[in-house]
Amino acid sequence: MCILRDIAAIAKGMSVTFREMFRPTIVENYPKGPGPLRGARFEERYRGVHVLQRDENGLEKCVACFLCAAACPSNCIYIEAAENTAEHRVSGAERYAQVYNIDYNRCIFCGYCVEACPTDAITHGHGFELATFNVSNLIYRKEQLLAPRPAHLGANAVFNRAEVEGGAPPVVAPGE
Amino acid sequence: MADVNITLDGKKLTAPAGTLLIEACKNAGIEVPSFCYYPGFSLQGACRMCLVKIEKVPKLQTACTTVIGEGMIVTTDSPEIHQARKSMVELLLGNHPLDCPVCDAGGECELQDMTFAYGAAESKYIDIKNHREEQQWSPVVYFDRPRCILCYRCVRVCGEGMDVWALGIQNRGVASVIAPNKEDHLECEECGMCIDICPVGALTSGAYRYKTRPWEMKHIDTTCTHCGDGCRTTLGVRRADTGIEIVRGDNRDKSGINGDFLCIKGRYAFDFVDNEQRIKQPLIRKDGRLTPSSWEEAFELIGRRFAEICGREGGRAIGVIGSSKTSNEENYLLQKFARVVLGTNNIDHHRTGDFPAFARALAGKLDATASMRDVFKAPAMLVIGNDPTNQHPLLAWQIRNNVRLHRSRLYVINSQPIKLRRQATAFAHIPAGSEAKLVALLAGDDSVLDVLVSENTPREALLSLRDRLRGEQNLVIIFGAELRGEEMARLVKVGSAVSGAKFVCLGDYANSRGAADMGLYPDLLPGYLPVTQGKTFREEWGGLPDAPGLTIPQMVDAAKAGQLKALYVVGANPVARFNIDPFAFAKSFVVMQDMFLTETALIADVVLPGANAYEKSGTFTNTCGDLQLLRKAGEVTGTKPDFEIIVRIAERMGFDVRKLVPFGGGMWADMGQSRGAQSGEADRHSVWLEAHGLETKLSPFDPMAILDEIQRLVPGYHVSRRTLLSGTDQHTRIGGPGILHNPELIVPANDDLFTSGTLGRYSRALNSVLENQRRKPVETEVAAD
Amino acid sequence: MKLSDQFEQRFHAMINHYPTKRSVLVPSLLYAQDELGYLTDELIAEMAQRLDLTDLEIRNVISYYSMLTTQPRGKFNVQVCTNIACMLRGGEEILDHCKRKLGIGHKGTTRDGLFSLEEVECIGACSWAPAAQVNYDFHENLTPERMNEVLQDYRRKVHQQENC
Repeated sequence: MCILRDIAAIAKGMSVTFREMFRPTIVENYPKGPGPLRGARFEERYRGVHVLQRDENGLEKCVACFLCAAACPSNCIYIEAAENTAEHRVSGAERYAQVYNIDYNRCIFCGYCVEACPTDAITHGHGFELATFNVSNLIYRKEQLLAPRPAHLGANAVFNRAEVEGGAPPVVAPGE
Repeated sequence: MADVNITLDGKKLTAPAGTLLIEACKNAGIEVPSFCYYPGFSLQGACRMCLVKIEKVPKLQTACTTVIGEGMIVTTDSPEIHQARKSMVELLLGNHPLDCPVCDAGGECELQDMTFAYGAAESKYIDIKNHREEQQWSPVVYFDRPRCILCYRCVRVCGEGMDVWALGIQNRGVASVIAPNKEDHLECEECGMCIDICPVGALTSGAYRYKTRPWEMKHIDTTCTHCGDGCRTTLGVRRADTGIEIVRGDNRDKSGINGDFLCIKGRYAFDFVDNEQRIKQPLIRKDGRLTPSSWEEAFELIGRRFAEICGREGGRAIGVIGSSKTSNEENYLLQKFARVVLGTNNIDHHRTGDFPAFARALAGKLDATASMRDVFKAPAMLVIGNDPTNQHPLLAWQIRNNVRLHRSRLYVINSQPIKLRRQATAFAHIPAGSEAKLVALLAGDDSVLDVLVSENTPREALLSLRDRLRGEQNLVIIFGAELRGEEMARLVKVGSAVSGAKFVCLGDYANSRGAADMGLYPDLLPGYLPVTQGKTFREEWGGLPDAPGLTIPQMVDAAKAGQLKALYVVGANPVARFNIDPFAFAKSFVVMQDMFLTETALIADVVLPGANAYEKSGTFTNTCGDLQLLRKAGEVTGTKPDFEIIVRIAERMGFDVRKLVPFGGGMWADMGQSRGAQSGEADRHSVWLEAHGLETKLSPFDPMAILDEIQRLVPGYHVSRRTLLSGTDQHTRIGGPGILHNPELIVPANDDLFTSGTLGRYSRALNSVLENQRRKPVETEVAAD
Repeated sequence: MKLSDQFEQRFHAMINHYPTKRSVLVPSLLYAQDELGYLTDELIAEMAQRLDLTDLEIRNVISYYSMLTTQPRGKFNVQVCTNIACMLRGGEEILDHCKRKLGIGHKGTTRDGLFSLEEVECIGACSWAPAAQVNYDFHENLTPERMNEVLQDYRRKVHQQENC
């Protein structure tokens, strides 16, 4: 009775389908999910778009030592260094990165730059929405990579007084 | 000296007696680390990194202060030695900050290398490091005290090498500190040798600080474009918005004629290159105003006007003024352009030394010129006139160190108490302008003694100087522009009586000698051949104008009389230099190519943005006649090398450029076709050429094509091309019959350490040093040790 | 600059005595310091000129030796040894006592310009530790009481001179 056997097989198959219909979903519902990440979830170790960190005073951690650029196997990091002055202090050390570009056309997200960094300034964030129609958009500038200023900074305006008085620059979230 | 047998790490070796153990190790290929030891300076024994085990000596010994002895058995690496070096590094790091990521020396720091080789991962010192704020000692020298490891190299190079003695050591023990001569700042020659020699980042350069890192730059060896000494300088370059930016000048490759030396100009004064006043677009005078235009329009206009004037009035109506700062190839091309394309001998340049008279005086004696390397080795030297310390810093360095290291005898004759007198065996202070009389005295004419004798220099001193000079051998005679024409000929005659005597005639700019050798004279062809004699050139070029042309003052007169219809000025500033009345050229069509709008731009109808020596390849001949390679380092968008501009003008005049620049020859061989026709070969070859700043001779803008012609036709330039391309200097001979000119046509540049003609005016580094000096009272010369 | 005849005599004797001129530097600086109390800028310039040295080199030497000073000192320079022998026998107490008594610290000078105090390394009087040196005179086997007397003696000496 081959018809009966077929019906039994379909019923068995459909029973799995109907059973799963009422269970919670396991796949991530990106990009239709809830929250700012639209349903995406990450492991801590995920290596996404880089974030240039700031120290507890809101100063940039990067001292423009070029070690990340030297470590980079795909040669995608471009830095121009400049000297900090008393009036214009950007990083904690003598030097800061005036220009810090990462070319995501070339970046392979290997994490060598993060390992090379002596000040823990460059880290991997979780940003991954890099797709664009224009390759020049894939060259990220320092402003796009910098971590937002710490929230307490407005309260303690010892550092970068001029900037604080002028209002902090708008922060572009990584990946936007 | 007799040889001594030693055993180094089991290897039996012989070395000359008196060799230092550390040098013997180096020659045997064994590296013994050291900080304080530096070849050519006094021994210090301060860092104790070079400890080695010598058999039968109970304790480890410093290799840098031990002279080898017969039968010495030495071990240079063992666990004991390794431990000793490790402890030394640990001690040095006891207070040395670990700020390598921000330190300028990071990546080329000797302490960093030693720490990797010998250092421990952890230190047992737990005390807080003693921090001191960084100090600025001069516009170009910064001192970061905690980084200093007290090797005293800077103190020795400043005192012994430069004879400036501006750095010292104060206090003792752990409190020792390097101190500048004026409490909190330096008053010195700002040569930056202390920065170059510092093994760590304690002394850093104000021009380069915090800009980039050593491995981020491309390093290009080229020849300095400032004075006539031709130091090799290494330019660190990186890409920039406007082309290629030069960020550092130093002396990484110490194999050039200058060895360890560079002066302030070679080290910092490359910054005129990116001065904001640099012209980056051709300018054409329209309604009395210089207005920006396109290259196309400028070439069109120049080509048309030059061709018109040549056709209507002949080449006589055009004058050409060349430069002492453009390459040999450009100078040669320019005079060929004038003689062949324009058909005129009206070509001149700013003369700073009487080289034609020098060639005439030396006629027949091809080996009688000294190279810069000879000056360092000569057993005796005579310097007449000039002030090498200020005007020829490398020459002064060679002289000083020859006296210090080889106990050479130095005789100085000058109308000023110049600084080199401190190294002199005998110094004759003579009245200004009496150099010619002195030559007569040396020749044996005692009647001039009355003029020369002064309270500083008694009669006996002059006579004994003459006697001593007559007793010398292999004397190198160096003279400045004080001696010209017949007087110079007399000196050469007197000097030649000394067996093995060699001569150096001083010219002031980077390629003054080259401009003279390449025939930027109205009556001389390249190689000091009078225009009436140049048979080879006539055959090669197919005809030449016979009559000598106009000198610069004659051009001015001709322009005033309305006979000079056009003037072509390449890289020179005759209006300021010769105080020319700007209205003299009111009716002439004046084309000028330069980097800046100098005074000459006032009279120019077309201004073309040219490139400087750091932005082109070619060769320079220094004042001694040493030929050296220029490699392209920087690039500023919008400018063109003078070579290309000249060729393009010739092309617009309807001239066949193949006759001007013999390019294209050997093309197939160069493309690798003869070597197996592998397609990759041509690519690899061009990659190699590109990497070495050269171009294939496929284009009419390739200076090497003209160098071929120079080497073929100019007497004295038959030097090894391969050696030249490897970056080594090649001494050229001064040949040709030469000629006597009016001595008044020579105008010395009178630059000092901190000025460099037009280039110096646009250098931020030089201006900041000058400004800094103006703020302080004039300092008298410091005493020597 | 004008220096005493005695200095000039000594200087000329020494300058002919040594093969190089700079050998004269340290003894002349000591003699000059005895006369002037400390080494003035004027003296440094004078010595540089006489010995063909730079000012900097002379300052280097002065900074190396602790007995040479470019700062004014008191009339009597009390140098208390605190090296091992003296320390074991109470050198540090002597030093502390002097600090209290004179009201000054290491390298300080009393307001009346009479005393300076200095803590020094071994002065070679270990056999009679603890010891102190005042100018060129040694005072040995000190106790705080003995130290009081020593200081008092110097004070008295000055008063006597003033009264004479």
